[in-house]
Amino acid sequence: MYFEIDPKVREDKGLSLLREETHRFAEGVMRPAAERLDKMSNPEDVIAKDSPYWDVLKQAKKLGYHRVFIDPDHGGLGVSAIEAHIILEELGWGSVGLATAIGVDQIAPAVASLFAMGDVLENLVKPWVEDTEAKYHGCWGVTEPECGSDYIMACEESFLPHVKELHPGEVRADEDGDGWVINGPKSGWISSAPAATHVGLHVTLPPHDSLANGAFCVVPLEQEGVTKGKPIDKLGLRDDPQGDIVFNNVHIPDDYMIIRPPFYEFRIGQIICVTSCFMGTVFTGLARAAFEEALQYSKNRVQGGKPLCEHQLIKQKLYKMFEKVESSRYYTRKIMEHVWEKIYIEKTYDASSRHALSAQIYGKRAAFEVAHEALQIFGGYGLTKDFLIEKLFRDARAGLIEDGTTEVLGLAAAYNIVQEY
Amino acid sequence: MAVFPSREWVEAVLEAAEKSEKHKEAAKDWEGDFLCMIGGDAEFLRDLSRREVMEGFMGFMDMMPVEARKKYKGTPMGNVFEKNLGVSLNASIKELNVGEMLDKTSKLSTADLKGASLYFWADFWHGSVRAMKPVPPGEHEDAAFKLSGTYSTWKMMVSGKQDTIRLVMSNKLKLEGDMSYIVGHMKAVVSLTKEVFAGVPID
Repeated sequence: MYFEIDPKVREDKGLSLLREETHRFAEGVMRPAAERLDKMSNPEDVIAKDSPYWDVLKQAKKLGYHRVFIDPDHGGLGVSAIEAHIILEELGWGSVGLATAIGVDQIAPAVASLFAMGDVLENLVKPWVEDTEAKYHGCWGVTEPECGSDYIMACEESFLPHVKELHPGEVRADEDGDGWVINGPKSGWISSAPAATHVGLHVTLPPHDSLANGAFCVVPLEQEGVTKGKPIDKLGLRDDPQGDIVFNNVHIPDDYMIIRPPFYEFRIGQIICVTSCFMGTVFTGLARAAFEEALQYSKNRVQGGKPLCEHQLIKQKLYKMFEKVESSRYYTRKIMEHVWEKIYIEKTYDASSRHALSAQIYGKRAAFEVAHEALQIFGGYGLTKDFLIEKLFRDARAGLIEDGTTEVLGLAAAYNIVQEY
Repeated sequence: MAVFPSREWVEAVLEAAEKSEKHKEAAKDWEGDFLCMIGGDAEFLRDLSRREVMEGFMGFMDMMPVEARKKYKGTPMGNVFEKNLGVSLNASIKELNVGEMLDKTSKLSTADLKGASLYFWADFWHGSVRAMKPVPPGEHEDAAFKLSGTYSTWKMMVSGKQDTIRLVMSNKLKLEGDMSYIVGHMKAVVSLTKEVFAGVPID
């Protein structure tokens, strides 16, 4: 286990126990399941009834990890930012793909718990937080076939003067009696969609002229008019089933429309602040996993008459990897603390988006760079399926695209920097 | 405990704002007045059947000069007063027979309150409340922000049982005005509910 540099964290027995407990789950449950899921040649097997995907979700829910982001007033775990960060780093260490499934699972109930009123709290959030059998499973419907990165830009308040230059969106909600009717396609990159029972969905509202004129709603997926695509076959994060969802005259009640104008336009980016901290942290976990794999391998593998770690070139690589892992941990943790304060404590919803986005970019980039160097230390063996580093490398590479490419995330942050710094 | 809305409630809110250093700090940059509309609903009718609420509510109306009060004439709220409760908007409120009004209130239904709204205006300025008073329809239409909702929604907000953001998000409270200004001053908005309104328990 790594040495915790922050004494406030290191000397807190509760935090140490939390880390140990989560690490046991990551090592004993997530790692073996992720290995099996990754090797499944048919992506549909990942979400089959007897798949280890469901075992992980059930156990995660029993341990309460599906409640990290839920408002404590509505059944949330009530953890601090540091506790959340510790949990997420360990989950990412276990498997970023499965951590993503645990993360996106929470988006619909978390947003509802923070902003909704009425039946949705009783009928959706309450049973969701009480669920320990993975009867409820959520996904987050953002990207669309014609506008993927557009949504990332539209969620950045500083970009709003330019938002009409983007695609106006394909998934639309229109008023229908005392509720809403939804039509249109979400693209094949929706994490957990093929397995999900509900989606936290971004839609546009009449006159459907801009992504900013939108709303966030919760849509139960097991109903007429919803078509969920098959899990796609892909390079990395194979334990995170992704697929499309198409809506054809799908109805939801009015109280399932959670964030609507005028707040959607200006504050939807706050969800991205939370998810960015999540991504930055779980990828920090992946970076650490890759570093630890390489360190261990370098101590055992003998080349040129001595262990790899005794070669100066390898020592230098190990140092650089260590530095990236450590800086990623404390950078993402600090930003997590800021975002947590604004969203869950003060509830002013004014977290700094440039910082949150940079936490995501930093964590993902650290993960890729560390996994890349780690694989290099493994040499030819790193390219084989015999070592975990091969999967970690593929997962880290996928991370540079998933949840927004690092380029577009950086561009969104740059608009904020230029306008607000 | 104060009745919402009442003269006592207004005075207590002004005092709470004046005393709250947290609010003064959180709202130090805020400049903007609100025209607030309270819509009559079933809970309003229920509450109004209690003597202390009726007295508090009439005290609130009494904060308006007769000339202002008369502007409710012909509006759904004016009709509730004049036709349903038999109270002239010109009358001196202090001389009204509350017992008689309670008796008449017990015969009202929510249908009688359809469209009935009461307005008040509040001027928030750099952490202080410069003014808060009931106003007739049509006055302060140029307020920077307009906030409207039913009586029961307003009670949820001013009691601090629900935060303003959640009420606006769920469309229970309708907010009009420069949203970019609001989101740029979220601390002030949150503090107004938490530190000022919630600091005045309502009956």
